[in-house]
Amino acid sequence: MSDPEKVFPTGLTLSEAEELHSQLIDGTRVFGAISLLAHVLVALTTPWLG
Amino acid sequence: MNNARMWLVVNPTVGIPVFLGAVAVGSFSVHVGIVTNTTWVEDFLSGREMGSTAALSVPSETAVASVDGAKIVFDEGEAGDRAVVILDDGRTAQVVFDEPDEVKTASLSGALD
Repeated sequence: MSDPEKVFPTGLTLSEAEELHSQLIDGTRVFGAISLLAHVLVALTTPWLG
Repeated sequence: MNNARMWLVVNPTVGIPVFLGAVAVGSFSVHVGIVTNTTWVEDFLSGREMGSTAALSVPSETAVASVDGAKIVFDEGEAGDRAVVILDDGRTAQVVFDEPDEVKTASLSGALD
């Protein structure tokens, strides 16, 4: 990992991979927040939890 | 962020759709499980009050009438226009009674005289 500009088999450099991954993590967080809100609403408005 | 290196090995044009597809399949199967294992989703989609079907299927001994081969359990809701018919072999049916209007009642009472 010494050469930061090394291009790997997928055609990405390490910094590009990290940039992509951070976007994926952010997207997953947004999905999680929406899902949490949906679960709270279902718990409050349906007979799910009695 | 140490997982970022996966994209040095897994091509993102394959990995990202597979990742999102897996989340979609998982979410879809959970929703199917909920729809098939509850009654309140069906209640909601058909405009009934959520949980009313479940409440109906619990027969209470007080409001029961029996006919040859069947038991009728009346719903104790305000309208009282619904009931569950339970056959001896265990099959059930939910029935909704019509509003008794004057014409029907008159003809009925005429027939009974």
